[in-house]
Amino acid sequence: MDVLEPRKVIGIYHVSKKYDDRVVLRDVNLQVGNGEFVFLVGPSGAGKSTLLRMIYMEETPNEGQVVVGSFVSTSLKRRQIPHLRRKIGIVFQDFKLLEDRSVFENVAITMRVAGTPNAEIKKRVMQVLTQVGLYHKRYDRPVTLSGGEQQRVAIARAVVNTPEILLADEPTGNLDPEVTKDIIQLLFRINSAGTAVLMATHNHELVRNYAQRIVFLRDGTIEEDLRLGLAAFTKDRLGLSEQPVTRPLGASGERGETH
Amino acid sequence: MKGHQINYLVSEAFNTLGRHKAVTFLSVVIMSLTLLVLAVFLLATDNVLTFLDRARREMTVFVYLRDDVPRGVLDGEYQRLLKMGEVETVVFISKEQAMAEFREELGDERSILEVLETNPLPASFRVTLRNEYRKKEAIERFAGAMRASPTVEEVSYGKEFIEQFSTVSRGFLYVDLVLGIIVILSSVFIISNTVRLTILSRQKSIEVLKLVGATNRFITMPFMIEGAFQAGVASLVSLGLLFGIYALTRGLLPDLAFLKPGKITLYVITCVLLGSIGSLASLRRHLKL
Repeated sequence: MDVLEPRKVIGIYHVSKKYDDRVVLRDVNLQVGNGEFVFLVGPSGAGKSTLLRMIYMEETPNEGQVVVGSFVSTSLKRRQIPHLRRKIGIVFQDFKLLEDRSVFENVAITMRVAGTPNAEIKKRVMQVLTQVGLYHKRYDRPVTLSGGEQQRVAIARAVVNTPEILLADEPTGNLDPEVTKDIIQLLFRINSAGTAVLMATHNHELVRNYAQRIVFLRDGTIEEDLRLGLAAFTKDRLGLSEQPVTRPLGASGERGETH
Repeated sequence: MKGHQINYLVSEAFNTLGRHKAVTFLSVVIMSLTLLVLAVFLLATDNVLTFLDRARREMTVFVYLRDDVPRGVLDGEYQRLLKMGEVETVVFISKEQAMAEFREELGDERSILEVLETNPLPASFRVTLRNEYRKKEAIERFAGAMRASPTVEEVSYGKEFIEQFSTVSRGFLYVDLVLGIIVILSSVFIISNTVRLTILSRQKSIEVLKLVGATNRFITMPFMIEGAFQAGVASLVSLGLLFGIYALTRGLLPDLAFLKPGKITLYVITCVLLGSIGSLASLRRHLKL
């Protein structure tokens, strides 16, 4: 499939990936809708990061294809990758900030590579830094910030170009529970403004209390795709909801979920 | 790429050089020493080529004339020579001038000439050929043509010297070309390895730039500017060192000439290009850009 279904921003179709003889992903199907929030949950080594790398096309599948907006992995040229990445914001566990630049420059770099004029960069970066609560630290170096603050800088950098998609690979992995909650709230706020968010985490506990869609990945295979999250699932089991909220992937013939 | 992006990348390159002073300094030192080899090679080549050119210029064909040729015929011969395409200059040396020169050359020994009743030396034309004809085959052809003239007694042009000169200068040019290629490739290799230090220290920045959608040109341009700048500075340092070596060896090699301004400019431009090519080569090799 070279074109996404309507109102979808990511389409992963029958994707398999292996390194030498080690299979990392096996016939994975997943679609993410426009403005949707999805937790991608699984233990270390389940293939979460590989799946995210497929989406920003750092990796290509051995089988199947990945479609992001108008970009299709099977026909993508190397020189198109930068243009794809300008439509995606990416956040990592280790923040990946430029240590020799100020907070402002770390956020501005996303706009500079896209060729945005300086005046516009200044205005937009200030706006985003205000949103993440770091306007007052715009001249500081990342090394002087706390882990939570550094992750907020990374998130500001990821969203400054108002991307359609935000990928977060274990964004709270290095943070304490309180800060983790703040970061997730920040991701929700970004999502409520219309950006689709796909957040990978190994922490089952973390997603327990949220009603967002949860996709479980284990040994490179999608085990379950809960479209209303674990919170709803729990309610369902308690008889509080009439909606069936679990659906093993493929059982209904559907790929991905509606929202 | 837009103008403000280019401005940003240029300022970025110089900010980076300033931020990493120690690495920049070390790179310039290594590049200076590498380029010094290139500069020494260039100075040696330049001097040898000048010497060969001078030797070629001094190649003269002596056309000795028969004694019985009337003056009027000689004038005609002189005019004919001047009109020949391969001839650059012609000087007529009369029998008397030849004797005077000989006397001069003999110096204190000139008394031996007193036994002579007549002047045995022939009149001659001293012919220099145009640069493109100062080759063994062309000279031989010209000498053959002159010998065929009834006014000519003998033609002499230092055949053995010219044969050796041709072999030596051709051999030198081949060896010099091969050495030149080796020196330039070594310079690019060393420069690209020096730049590798910088690249490895900034691998994380490059990774971030790729993730936020930077094109290869956006990533490579500051490195190429830095490489060009460092190599430019290194070329000036190497020229300073070369001048030091030149000044020290002047006593031993009094004929050695330093590079002329035009060649210095060419050398600096070449180094700047080598610096940016070295950077690009290194980026391509280590980052698969």
